[in-house]
Amino acid sequence: MSTPHREHPDAVVAPAPTMWPMLAALGATLVFAGLVTHVVATIVGAVLFVISAIGWFREVLPEEATEIVPFVAAERRARAVVASTRTVEHLHPGGPGGHRMRLPVEIHPYTAGLRGGVVGGAVMALLACLFGLIDQHSVWYPINLLAASAVPSLATASVPELMQFSALGLVVATIVHGLMSLLVGMLYAMILPMLPRQPILLGGLIGPLLWTAIIWASLGIVNPTLEERIHWGWFIASQIGFGLVAGIVIARSEKIQTMQALPIALRAGIEGGMPGHGGEDEK
Amino acid sequence: MTVLEEGIARPHAPERASAWEVVHDWVTTVDHKKLGVMYISSALVFFLIAGFEATLMRIQLAVPNNDFLPPNTFNRLFTMHGTTMVFLVGMPMFFGFANYLTPLMIGARDLAFPRMNAFGFWLFLFGGILLYFSFLGGDGLYGAGTAPDVGWFAYAPLTGKAFSRGNSTDYWILGILVSGFGSTGTALNLAATILTMRCPGMTWGKLPLFVWLMLVNCLLTLIILTPLTAAQVMLLFDRYLGAHFFDTQAGGSAVLWQHFFWFFGHPEVYVLILPAFAMANEIVPVFSRKPLFGYPFMVGATVLIGFISLSVWAHHMFVVGLSPAANTFFTLSTMAIAVPTGIKIFNWLGTMWGGKIRFKMPMLWCTAFLFSFVIAGLTGVMLAVVPWDWQLSDSYFVVAHFHFVLIGGLLFNIFAAIYYWFPKVTGRMLDEKLGRLHFWIFATGFYLTFTTMHFPGLLGMPRRIYTYEAGRGWDTLNLITSLGVAVQLVGLTFFLWNVVRSLLKGDPAGDDPWDAWTLEWSTTSPPPEYNFEQIPVVHSRRPLWDLKHPEDPDWRYE
Repeated sequence: MSTPHREHPDAVVAPAPTMWPMLAALGATLVFAGLVTHVVATIVGAVLFVISAIGWFREVLPEEATEIVPFVAAERRARAVVASTRTVEHLHPGGPGGHRMRLPVEIHPYTAGLRGGVVGGAVMALLACLFGLIDQHSVWYPINLLAASAVPSLATASVPELMQFSALGLVVATIVHGLMSLLVGMLYAMILPMLPRQPILLGGLIGPLLWTAIIWASLGIVNPTLEERIHWGWFIASQIGFGLVAGIVIARSEKIQTMQALPIALRAGIEGGMPGHGGEDEK
Repeated sequence: MTVLEEGIARPHAPERASAWEVVHDWVTTVDHKKLGVMYISSALVFFLIAGFEATLMRIQLAVPNNDFLPPNTFNRLFTMHGTTMVFLVGMPMFFGFANYLTPLMIGARDLAFPRMNAFGFWLFLFGGILLYFSFLGGDGLYGAGTAPDVGWFAYAPLTGKAFSRGNSTDYWILGILVSGFGSTGTALNLAATILTMRCPGMTWGKLPLFVWLMLVNCLLTLIILTPLTAAQVMLLFDRYLGAHFFDTQAGGSAVLWQHFFWFFGHPEVYVLILPAFAMANEIVPVFSRKPLFGYPFMVGATVLIGFISLSVWAHHMFVVGLSPAANTFFTLSTMAIAVPTGIKIFNWLGTMWGGKIRFKMPMLWCTAFLFSFVIAGLTGVMLAVVPWDWQLSDSYFVVAHFHFVLIGGLLFNIFAAIYYWFPKVTGRMLDEKLGRLHFWIFATGFYLTFTTMHFPGLLGMPRRIYTYEAGRGWDTLNLITSLGVAVQLVGLTFFLWNVVRSLLKGDPAGDDPWDAWTLEWSTTSPPPEYNFEQIPVVHSRRPLWDLKHPEDPDWRYE
């Protein structure tokens, strides 16, 4: 490795400029260029490369060629960095200014989400069955409709067939509805602490409405049978039922602290007791 | 003249040096800053050439059944455009910024091997010139062909002697080979510098993220250039010495080149984009007036990207017909790389969140980068899904995707970096009004071109076709795509005018025009040859912040 730049009081010893690297590169390029032009180019390149290598070696052996670079005049040097007159404001979670206002310092445990999913899912299933009884006088109708997304025979079934009991339909619908309820319940538990102001209202009413909009847009692809026969009023009611009940169950659980606000070293278990540092903002 | 005990003292520079002295000074320099400027300037020249080639291609494709260009010329143009942008624009931009800024940021006076640094630059430049000499000398000994016409990834065995007569493919091999030697040397040099020449106090946890990313990038470069060089030498053996590495009729492999090339080629995308990330890491915090959010995670994500990028190459080969296990592995690894990349996006947003954002030119470009790169990442994940890739491989959807990566990702941040560090390099500010014209016009042209380009791809338009029949639903989309190029050219003209004008009569920059925090802003603009009168000592990741805010220094919290 080069060891130039030795220090002097008012100068620096730096590597001297040299033409050999450029000439060596030119020589090396010509060596290869000869393959596609003429052998003379390769010969010239090889000679140039050897001469450059010798010249280069002579510049660094036994002592590296250097030059003295004097410091520029004092008035042309960098100005000393002066202390800023502006004050620094530290940002803390939930502090003034809204920085990280929604950072969940505490969250509901995942088990609360699972419980909320189970209870909310049960309420949703009851509402759906109620719809089946009132609208088609059959509790199996909404179950078979849901199962139609995965059971081809139900996807092409007529309304009277959909009103009949189907073991396969019941199993598939239970799995689909159960899994979805558990997953949405867990998601709900995670996002509930991040929802501003009225979390149950947002999660129980506005969330289901947005979810319904997504379903409305995509149902034709996911489950065309259900799209043909769906009753959107009942659908929204069952979604809201799930949202409100699951939200209440989750909200009743005791929150646990996250490690979001702790320093990385503490979170990684490397060290403890470091002061919190939420970043700063110059004002 | 003062003569000290060793070395030859340099006379103080005369007020006006002759043209010969200026040329001699630049040709013989081993100063990392001048070499950095030469890398970036050369890359900009090659960028203009590649842009000209792209413009010609877009004129050809603007309307159906067009014969503005002969078919063979079109093939040469897309080959040279791709090769130039990757090897002669993206790579030297990385080395240029790394060269100029790394020693300044780590408080060193130069790179570890200054002469090898110069050697690396000249190899890159002469390699590029050799490649472009093919337009004049490509007829070579055989009178066949001019510039290479085999695409930027030059698939063997189609590049074998039987299918690619004359010397044009040899120019592609040799030009890239020579440049590659230079890149290897410079990567080694930068890595050695970062590993051994950091100023006192600059531990790994206090290293500027720009430098961290450059270190990962250099190591990645050293790993991936080796198989490319090996494959190129094997191809030369096939072409000149009768070897059969890629000759399927003599026991060679038809897909071996693809494995070698893409083991280089996909990590190369990260070699190109990591410098863009590095630039954003410096610019976003300064213009948000906050420290970078999640520094340790940014370092970890960078290292992860480096590792994972070495295991994704065969997603370029889904249509070859890999085994289900290979398809699954490369799909998952490709999707996995979105995780550390996503961490970076969120951390930049986290940095901006709650900050006092100043939308100066560098920040404008970085913001546009964030937007574009998310879209590029999403289409990248789409292409990682095998059935989707089978449908859209080698279509204009892929072309649009990687232009969102390399223009919306890389070039946007290169513009950001030029606006940010131009004052440091030249001592003059770039004009803000011309800059805004450049930004809005160029960005509009970019989105017009490359957003639209996704749709002909979705409608089945293959990449690299010379022309197309009317009435396939591609006509209007291609016209809009080409018109977007014209808009980009107008924006680019404002940029070039801004650079020239600001060089001649831009506002003086001062040492620290952005009120920034890393060491390069503690020296003059432009810095003296020796960078610092005294080697600095740092106590935190933002040494200038500590000096500007002694009442609340960063080292209290790191």
